[in-house]
Amino acid sequence: MIADAFVLARKDLLLEFRRREVVLGMIQYVVSTLVIVHFAILGADGSERAAAGMLWAAILFTAILSLNRCFAADQEEGALETLQLAPVDRAAIWLGKVLAQMAYLIAMELVALPAFWLFFFGDEGPAPLPVIAAVLLADLGLATVGVLVAALTQGARAGDVLLPVLFLPISIPLVIGAVTATLESFPDGDGTLRALGFLGLFDTLFALLAWGTFEHLTGE
Amino acid sequence: MPTVALEECSKRFGERIALRRVSLAAASGEAVALMGANGSGKSTLLRVVAGLVRPSAGACRVDGVPSTGLNRAGRGQIGYLSHRSLAYRGLTAAENLRLVARLHRRPASVVESALVEVGLEDRSADRIETFSRGMLQRLALARLVLAEPTLLLLDEPATGLDAEGVALLERLLTRWRGSATVLVATHDEQFADRHGDRTVRLARGEVVT
Repeated sequence: MIADAFVLARKDLLLEFRRREVVLGMIQYVVSTLVIVHFAILGADGSERAAAGMLWAAILFTAILSLNRCFAADQEEGALETLQLAPVDRAAIWLGKVLAQMAYLIAMELVALPAFWLFFFGDEGPAPLPVIAAVLLADLGLATVGVLVAALTQGARAGDVLLPVLFLPISIPLVIGAVTATLESFPDGDGTLRALGFLGLFDTLFALLAWGTFEHLTGE
Repeated sequence: MPTVALEECSKRFGERIALRRVSLAAASGEAVALMGANGSGKSTLLRVVAGLVRPSAGACRVDGVPSTGLNRAGRGQIGYLSHRSLAYRGLTAAENLRLVARLHRRPASVVESALVEVGLEDRSADRIETFSRGMLQRLALARLVLAEPTLLLLDEPATGLDAEGVALLERLLTRWRGSATVLVATHDEQFADRHGDRTVRLARGEVVT
């Protein structure tokens, strides 16, 4: 199943590489947000902490851009039905999408995180390693939940509106955990272990939920 | 080769009833032609058998198993030809078939031979978004050739094909006859006579003969 998931993720990445429909838009959105907030809170008291919260809000909303396109290529000519009728575990379809979504998020963050440090911090920002760990764990959670919700809303009337309506409330605990981890990474923080543990727990629970339910979401 | 059995099968889309208490059986290796006007329920019936649509009432079984509950092997034996190509527009013909071959555990070498068989070998490296309707239909046929299904569900398979393409389709159907159970929806009476062991007619979602 893992091998099938990688084959399907590779297909999604190849389509994105050729069409450039998602990642460039995500990068533009997140960098624009960072620039705007940078000028809005420049020099204000507690601006570093506000920036940490803003970073996660930007990542969360940027994720919606890619999730709204998650099944677009599969629906154009009905190719999702080829996958549904293939002799593979349907959870492989979900896992393939999660891997592809994570790749998009990481590609966006490769630009967003250096920009975040550049705009808001000198040498006194949060410790990079815990923040990167939080980013990776949060990416996994966003992709896990997001693909599940995208499968639920794909093909639905006003699905692109329905997706954030369902996705955002479920993702709020994840983002709170990620913001906490980022804040605790500052030199005066209490350590990030608990927040990272929470993110890991969230990822595990939703991965299990998605694994068990995806089969039923890809049908009619 | 699988058997197919629909028992009092109905399908409703909102207020619209697409299938009304349809009972139909196809024996192992039998070829059943489905005829009927547009909107008579042929496509819905095929999608129900494929397990892509859940019946609102009644049951549809493939080899005794509900079609929406088929396991991996059960799904893999189905070859479904739709009004759409069921392929990725951003991939080339060869890439689309390689993906199908990989998912069906078929060797990569079958891709080339399938493309040759349907006459797309010269366009194998082209993205299918540049393909005509007929070429997309040939690609869909190539998908069936390489997957070697034992239950063929063909929804108006001649749609978009030129004379050469129709001849190709007829050759393939003749080859598949006896090695697969076939349900084929068509408007063409002669086509139904040539490729069906019997014909079932639908009207407004009901079997009429």
